[in-house]
Amino acid sequence: MLAEIINSNFNRYASGAEKDLFFETRKQAFEAFETMGFPTQKNEEWKYTNIKGVTAGSFEMSDERPAHAKTIFEKSVLNEIKANQLIFVNGIFYPDLSILLEKDKSIVLTNLANARTEYSELFNRHFSKYAKTEEHSLNALNTALLNDGAFIYVPEGVKPEYPVIINHYIDSTHINVLVQPRNLMVIDKGAEITLIETYESIGFNASYTNVVSEIYVAENAHLEHYKVQQQAGESYHTNFTQMFQESNTSINQVTLTLDGKLVRNNLHFYMNGKNCNSLLYGLYIIEKQNTVDNHTRVDHAQPNCFSDEKYKGILKDQSTAIFNGKIIVHLDAQKTNAYQRNQNVLLSDEAVVNTKPQLEIFADDVKCTHGATIGQLDEEPMFYLRSRGIPENEARKMLLNAFADEIAERIKIPELVELLEKKIEEKL
Amino acid sequence: MLSIKNLSAEIDGKKILDGLELEIKAGEVHAIMGPNGAGKSTLSAVLAGRPEYVVTGGTVTYMGKNLLDMSPEDRACEGVFLAFQYPVEIPGVSTTNFLKTAVNQKRLYNGLEPMEATDFLKMMRQKMELVEMDKSLTGRSLNEGFSGGEKKRNEVFQMAMLEPNLAILDETDSGLDIDALRLVSNGVNKMRNTERSFVVITHYQRLLDYIIPDFVHVLYKGKIVKSGDKELAKELEVKGYDWIKNELEAAV
Ligand SMILES: Nc1ncnc2c1ncn2[C@@H]1O[C@H](COP(=O)(O)OP(=O)(O)O)[C@@H](O)[C@H]1O
Ligand SMILES: [Mg+2]
Repeated sequence: MLAEIINSNFNRYASGAEKDLFFETRKQAFEAFETMGFPTQKNEEWKYTNIKGVTAGSFEMSDERPAHAKTIFEKSVLNEIKANQLIFVNGIFYPDLSILLEKDKSIVLTNLANARTEYSELFNRHFSKYAKTEEHSLNALNTALLNDGAFIYVPEGVKPEYPVIINHYIDSTHINVLVQPRNLMVIDKGAEITLIETYESIGFNASYTNVVSEIYVAENAHLEHYKVQQQAGESYHTNFTQMFQESNTSINQVTLTLDGKLVRNNLHFYMNGKNCNSLLYGLYIIEKQNTVDNHTRVDHAQPNCFSDEKYKGILKDQSTAIFNGKIIVHLDAQKTNAYQRNQNVLLSDEAVVNTKPQLEIFADDVKCTHGATIGQLDEEPMFYLRSRGIPENEARKMLLNAFADEIAERIKIPELVELLEKKIEEKL
Repeated sequence: MLSIKNLSAEIDGKKILDGLELEIKAGEVHAIMGPNGAGKSTLSAVLAGRPEYVVTGGTVTYMGKNLLDMSPEDRACEGVFLAFQYPVEIPGVSTTNFLKTAVNQKRLYNGLEPMEATDFLKMMRQKMELVEMDKSLTGRSLNEGFSGGEKKRNEVFQMAMLEPNLAILDETDSGLDIDALRLVSNGVNKMRNTERSFVVITHYQRLLDYIIPDFVHVLYKGKIVKSGDKELAKELEVKGYDWIKNELEAAV
């Protein structure tokens, strides 16, 4: 059982060399996790998502440094992008494989463990300040057991030439592996950066990956953020990303869920200043008996902010999709514009979608819309294409590509779009 | 070319075509007229193979083959083309890409190599001129945001690209102003030859001043109730469909 494994791993931190400054944070989080436990379906936020596969499973944390990491990294499609790179395998940092390009020397690109001492001021100011642990027991679990992860700091006004890719490889070649990656990104005033977070699997044993990413965006900064989940097979992946925006910031965020046995994405935006612009786009392609659950939350806490959200899904076989989109317009957030849509195409009668918008509006001068659709591919376009000689299969592919295109258009990195197209081709 | 015998078809359990007969030889242009709801679009949909329509009786033989046995895509590759009354908008599918796929699928079906990209573009340019279609339209998603007239021109443009043996035009004239009507008719007339046949479905005689038909048929309550030459269309224009309805009722 996972609970015992968690206990023994925590005790290891309690007794070993890890007992340091950081241990107090771990301890508090561990106690919080102990009190809350794993979420069950009795919890409204987990009503449709059963994580028994995780809780009843047997996973181990691993300190091993797989020798084949280099080959795997070199084979990765995303490696073709000219970019600054951070490489982690099972949450362990590989500085030798990581790349900081000459032109972008002014940014800080390191691992969290190092940042704790080397950039302690920044670390202490931002670490664990945004992703809440209360009500989110998995965040507490991550804090209690965290391995390591990316630390990125983009100083004031800096606009790196190239994107930063955070590669998390989850290696289950030898064991069922338990990984707790933790990322912290601080984008200072007026800075502009593109970040790609990717999660890929190596090996065929089961894995449970529980990620927390905290991203702080200071005044007038701009962030392009892409999260790509492509862990395959028996991969369980839960992720909590908290964006914290100061005034006049803009974020374009795209979440691609292309594989995995069970994926739960929590993506939360908190607009702490005026005139923020937040775009949230998502695409999920699900097959077999897999589950993808996207929970998003946008807190409009200040006036004059804009958010636009669109999540699209393609479901095959007996797969399940859950979409829950919360928009909270706080009392002071006048002149808020918030839009949300969720669209699903079912390619099988046995696939299931649970979609729920949740709007909580406390201000009065607000424009807010939401909508959801679930259905098969429309018959009319299908027939139109076929009537021109295009075979049914080909026509279906064209229409699904067109469906996905609306999200692909939001991705500004051609190689990433290519990867997406390849995945769609494979899956469909 | 096309022989329709005693064709009956229904949709959602509702009988629409009811013993329809029609013979079309190569090179002929047949106009089909009739009041709204007579079953004109149903006939075109059944010929193109729209899955929602259920054929409950009769036969359709096209170039010696059983048309009703073929999938919609095979019918298209065999040379049947339907210009839709209401062309559907398909966001995200580019017009050029769509046409390239369609043209090459047809070639593949007929054992030909895919077209060279430059040849294809040249062909596109030529055929667009035929209906004076704006070049910018092919860069956009298929029919997305096209005006009614642009959609109809796009249908004729696609017909020109696919060079069918049998083209069925379902009210291609509706919603066109006089200039567009002339362009579309010109496009069709330029494609007329001794091998190619047309079924021109229209509500108004006006189109038939431009596309002169060899035969005119009146479709009413799911069957052809009257046939004649182009003079019949003129008579209908003057007397209206009530004349046919009354005549039929008198005969009962
Ligand atoms: N999907 C459908 N379900 C039920 N009835 C339909 C459907 N589509 C068309 N019809 C009916 O079939 C009849 C013939 O329609 P149609 O072929 O479009 O006529 P026309 O093109 O001659 O105006 C009409 O009465 C119409 O209401
Ligand atoms: Mg009609």
